[in-house]
Amino acid sequence: MVPLSNYLVLSAIIFSLGAYGVLARRNAVLILMSVELMLNAVSLNFIAFAAYLDPTKVTGAIFAIFVITVAAAEVGLALAIVIRLFRNRATSNVDEAATLKW
Amino acid sequence: MATEVLWWIFAAAIVALSAGVVFSRSVIHAAIFLIGSLGGVGAMYVFLNVEFLALVQFLIYGGAVTVLILLALMLTRMGASGTPEKLNGAQAPFGILVGGGLMAILIGVAVSTNWPKNVSDKPFAISIQTISNRLFLDYGVPFIIASALLLVALVGAIILARQEEGE
Repeated sequence: MVPLSNYLVLSAIIFSLGAYGVLARRNAVLILMSVELMLNAVSLNFIAFAAYLDPTKVTGAIFAIFVITVAAAEVGLALAIVIRLFRNRATSNVDEAATLKW
Repeated sequence: MATEVLWWIFAAAIVALSAGVVFSRSVIHAAIFLIGSLGGVGAMYVFLNVEFLALVQFLIYGGAVTVLILLALMLTRMGASGTPEKLNGAQAPFGILVGGGLMAILIGVAVSTNWPKNVSDKPFAISIQTISNRLFLDYGVPFIIASALLLVALVGAIILARQEEGE
């Protein structure tokens, strides 16, 4: 079977790709998708640790359940904000939503 | 042995699909790649013997979240305008710098750390019974708070996205 560090390296790669996406993209929905990638990498990390190191208390698996719950709520709210932004500004580009920038 | 080969195939697929999400030039392609990537992570949960979370992953991420994202993409597209919009900002090179540095640091730490010697070389099976006992007995209060959070987020999303009078 594959050792624990394989899962950690895989999750590190997904997390870094997600971080790049958050930094580089301009479209709000694409940024949100990159955030989902990062959340998934974190969940994978938690569950790998739970399955390898903590089989009786499974704290990592519980944590992953809460991460998934909060991610679902976050996606719903963020997409509502994107739709509202699009309705007011006719764009989903975060660079153009700069009213606070003078 | 066969499991290991399968694991590597799935890991390569996840990395390729995740790269597709952040490097793709089309928004819709990125969303499709995201579905594949999330499903691949669900398969990883199967490899870790946590079937319940794999099921949750497929249902919530593979189903609900990606459908929401596709719906938002559909609602926020500018129609059939001629030039494809530029998806990356001017800061993208710095993103490569930060993402690459982060990846190097994280992989270096994960590989070089000495994990405790009693770590088994294969994952334990986490039964759905263990998860439910922990979730409902020991983490009851966070569970209830999470349900309240979901309700508030639901109401908030409806209020934010609602068409107001006179708009």
